[in-house]
Amino acid sequence: MSKGCGKLDDAGTAEIRSADERYPTKLNKIINLFESLPEDERRETLVSYADNAKKQEPREGENFDLVDVRKDEECMDTVGVYLHVDENGKAHIRMTLGPEVQTLTRAMTAVLCKGLEGCTPQEILDLPSNFVTRIVGAELIRIRSQTIYYVLTRIKGICKVYLDRQRMAAVA
Amino acid sequence: MATHPTQYANPEALVETDWLEKHLKDDAMRIVESNEDVLLYDTGHIPGAVHVDWRADLQDPVIRDYISPEKFAELCSRNGITPDTTCIFYGDKANWWACYALWAFRLFGHEKVKILNGGRDKWKAEQRPMTREVPKYPQTNYPVPKKRFDKEIRAFFDEALAQSKSGKPLIDVRSPGEYKGEITHMPEYPQEGVLRGGHVPGAKSMPWKTATKDDATFKPAEELAKIYFDQCGVKPDTDTVVYCRIGERSSHTWFVLTYLLGLDKVRNYDGSWTEWGNKVGAPIEKGA
Repeated sequence: MSKGCGKLDDAGTAEIRSADERYPTKLNKIINLFESLPEDERRETLVSYADNAKKQEPREGENFDLVDVRKDEECMDTVGVYLHVDENGKAHIRMTLGPEVQTLTRAMTAVLCKGLEGCTPQEILDLPSNFVTRIVGAELIRIRSQTIYYVLTRIKGICKVYLDRQRMAAVA
Repeated sequence: MATHPTQYANPEALVETDWLEKHLKDDAMRIVESNEDVLLYDTGHIPGAVHVDWRADLQDPVIRDYISPEKFAELCSRNGITPDTTCIFYGDKANWWACYALWAFRLFGHEKVKILNGGRDKWKAEQRPMTREVPKYPQTNYPVPKKRFDKEIRAFFDEALAQSKSGKPLIDVRSPGEYKGEITHMPEYPQEGVLRGGHVPGAKSMPWKTATKDDATFKPAEELAKIYFDQCGVKPDTDTVVYCRIGERSSHTWFVLTYLLGLDKVRNYDGSWTEWGNKVGAPIEKGA
């Protein structure tokens, strides 16, 4: 049986667990960390990540291939995504968050900037999004299900634009 | 020309930040934080404050309704609250969720409730103390409330419809775009699945934030009276129903009308637009 088609257990999680190999190593470590934590420590860890969101901002002297700063209806404030792809094709993502951005979104910003560091844009685009629930946990998903995918969607969005432009340049 | 009150009907329903900082260790009260941002309390809160999440703690997880009286008693007991405890609510968004939590406490008959004027934003702006330490209070034995005060402070669909048909005051506290039917969700927020845009026929538009100043505190009584008595047609002896999307923003207006203007016939239609906008057979109006 292939890894991606594992028989579901009672909780319906077999397929998710067998898909670990689809996640980048750094992200997988973060997922495993969160999954090992009881609910209160999971919240504490999310807050710690949220505290670190500011460290994901662009640093002086950095150059980017694409910059996407905008205010969407899905989020309380402006979110900026900055993408640099190095000579080895690896993506480096920085993000800026407006002051009204909610704590959970801040946390996911730090998680994703760290977890996806060094992936290729295509790997990011291909990433299944079900890991987000494994990080945030069932309780927070239940009470705030609408905000947790926003940062991943924005990061995937900038990677898609980058790849589309690369393809168009290759064709031209 | 009607004269308007120059002071709040129940000024004791508000506490100021300065006062609260001096009473942080008052055993007779419990500070309760309630926010839209689900992790905001965890990032820091007023020392001694407990956290009540509007969805996890106050809403039934299966039925669209509030928790049972038994669950309310459990919630209070684990936070060291007794019927004699004065609960001082505060939170983000100019106390919008704090007012929602206060309204839910009133639904179960908890009488001693107050709002921190200006809420979390003002407290932080004034650089008052914050902590991440989660307080532990001795468990109490809060008695299970004998009834829920649905009839007194809550309106259901049929009652909102009757209010609409009778022409009695009905206030839509959502944004102007939601009221006109141009959008079906709050600006800056995701669409949450309402089929139709517009408002309940006969409802007057008065966005909830009209009642607050820039620092998130409430406007003076005279200004509030002009807004609600003169512009919305609210009268002290007439039933009034307020609504928004799920009853959260309208809780803020309910607090203003009930506590600050002293009206005793105000009900919050918590089914609000997420019910009305989807309800088969419910009439709507569009436009200003």
